Amino acid sequence: MSTASQEFLRKAAEKSADPVHRGIVRWNIDQYDTSVGKGKTRFADWEAARQRCHDIKWEAVNHLDKYLLQFEQKVKENGGHVFWAENGEEARQYICDVAKRGGVKKVVKSKSMVSEEIHLAAALEKMGVEVVETDLGEFIVQLRNEPPYHIVTPAMHLNRQQVSKLFHEKLGAAETQDPPELVAIARRWLRKSFFSAEMGISGANFIVADAGMVTITTNEGNGRLSTSVPRIHVALTGIEKVIPRLQDLATLWPTLATAGTGQPITCYNTLMGGARRAGEVDGPEEFHVVLVDNGRSELLADLEQREVLHCIRCGACINACPVFRNIGGHAYGVTYPGPIGSVLEPRLLGLKEYQHLSFASSLCGACTDVCPVHIELHHHLLQNRRNAIHSGTHPASERLGMKFFRWMMSSAPRFRFFGWLGRMALRAVRALGLEGTALDPMRPWTKDRAMPPIPRESFREMWRQQNGTH
Amino acid sequence: MAPTENPSRERILGRIRAAVQTTGPHHEGAAGQIFAPVTNTLDRFQKECVANITECMVTADSASSAAAIKAILATLPPGEIFVQDAPELRALVSGVKDGRPLRWSSEGPPNEASQATITLCEALVAQTGSVLVSAANGGRQATVIAPAHIVFATLDQLVPDLEAVMARINERGIAGRNSYVCLITGSSRTADIEKILIMGAHGPRRLIVVLQTA
Repeated sequence: MSTASQEFLRKAAEKSADPVHRGIVRWNIDQYDTSVGKGKTRFADWEAARQRCHDIKWEAVNHLDKYLLQFEQKVKENGGHVFWAENGEEARQYICDVAKRGGVKKVVKSKSMVSEEIHLAAALEKMGVEVVETDLGEFIVQLRNEPPYHIVTPAMHLNRQQVSKLFHEKLGAAETQDPPELVAIARRWLRKSFFSAEMGISGANFIVADAGMVTITTNEGNGRLSTSVPRIHVALTGIEKVIPRLQDLATLWPTLATAGTGQPITCYNTLMGGARRAGEVDGPEEFHVVLVDNGRSELLADLEQREVLHCIRCGACINACPVFRNIGGHAYGVTYPGPIGSVLEPRLLGLKEYQHLSFASSLCGACTDVCPVHIELHHHLLQNRRNAIHSGTHPASERLGMKFFRWMMSSAPRFRFFGWLGRMALRAVRALGLEGTALDPMRPWTKDRAMPPIPRESFREMWRQQNGTH
Repeated sequence: MAPTENPSRERILGRIRAAVQTTGPHHEGAAGQIFAPVTNTLDRFQKECVANITECMVTADSASSAAAIKAILATLPPGEIFVQDAPELRALVSGVKDGRPLRWSSEGPPNEASQATITLCEALVAQTGSVLVSAANGGRQATVIAPAHIVFATLDQLVPDLEAVMARINERGIAGRNSYVCLITGSSRTADIEKILIMGAHGPRRLIVVLQTA
């Protein structure tokens, strides 16, 4: 078993037994469910929206070279820079170089999951640059030295008391149970950062080929300030975020908002295509787009899982997932939690170390049902499992166990015999008072669950007794 | 700035080109109408503003627009007002002088301590009660920095839905002409703490549209 897998099991067991954590997650997801239910009624046909979004992303992903080149050309025409990064190392290096050349001491960041994926903040901090997360949820988890808990709601796992205590300890603010006051504290604190930072780093929800613009979606306005005030703007994004046309946003923006939070449309949908132009009042002097591959082109080459690149990172599959609802976002130990992460991370980080994520699912398909771009998530989880088995990286004990299971199940007398043996053994454990002790073979199962009474005979025997026939 | 060596570009593109030789599976499904058509645009815009917490004031002429802006300013704490330097706003604001310091966008970006900003917009969207602004509307900070953002618009700027506003961006070259375009829907908000909706996270707490019908 890999270390990542052991850590996952430990954290998952701990979190699913933590009633406070369960309460907070349940409250958040209930609010989300209500809001999304209402949000969908604003569409004449939600299914048609999903189909359109699928069509747009399918078109883009299956012509990725064409649209990326179109985007790049437009950005360059407008004086911007486009850098293609093979992996996290190259992206970090480029951004650190831009920071060094620009004499950057402080960076304000609006939310970017790719920056988490490539551990950008740590690289900048190592060269002495202060990095300030400006999304409120991100700001909170940064103060706690934690990664985001959820890709849309980074501080979902915390209540107001915890945030108040944190602001008191880290910012010296007076304790308050009043959420608007907590927001005001963060606003005042972050305002200073926006105006003292030399560089703003944003992600991109979409990059628009025909306009040569990146678009970011935020409710708070931190994304707007991060890209308006500092001297340099760097937009960091995965290559799969490209869409063909501006017109596509007429569907993508409201669908992303509704799937993400239940809103009809997010408060600020911003398009940026370059540095400040001649005649414009303000804006950055430099505009850089960093296009990150980091395993995405390999996923593109896999026809079976190519559509995973359609993902618009709305978080709907995460919220719908019964596994997430029980273990929360941090137990996964990876950048992208929930079903999309359990498909993506084993591909990006390696099946050998991370296949357990694809196995940690009931395959109920709730994720597939809610995905606004029709990604068949639970099928991809199953494919990862198959690929893991074929790669021979799963534990030998499990291989042996499955071999034995197949041998037992492929003969009726063997099945009957082992069924009898199992019932006898369980009754013996109970009779000897070993239940719940280390000697109880059922302990891994029964430590969190009540064992039902063990029947004296099998179903077949009961049937024969009642009906006198097989 | 010296161009950065980027050998990875060709490698990434090479892999992409090889991969997309074969087309991936496509999901076939419903292709119906996504949103019901918007018919009564002014009525719908006003309703959406109520829902997304935008204050919409419909005015009949420039005199009543000036009066509306004056009334709004009277509700704000003392302090500087920033105004997009446009002939329409020069005319309007000259009628509402209330002794506050004024800063025009031609003098540079707004001061951080501005109490309000007044700008024009590129379009209004009835379907969502949104305001489309660009860098031309006083710059990037003009529409996000102050506690109150006042937008002056006229009825011909109101389009029915998101499809129409994207079409307008294309037809009028708004994205081509500006380095920055933003579709604003309601005032700044966050629900990052316990999913409780709080207004005025980093941007304006109040968004006010003065919509002049003639």
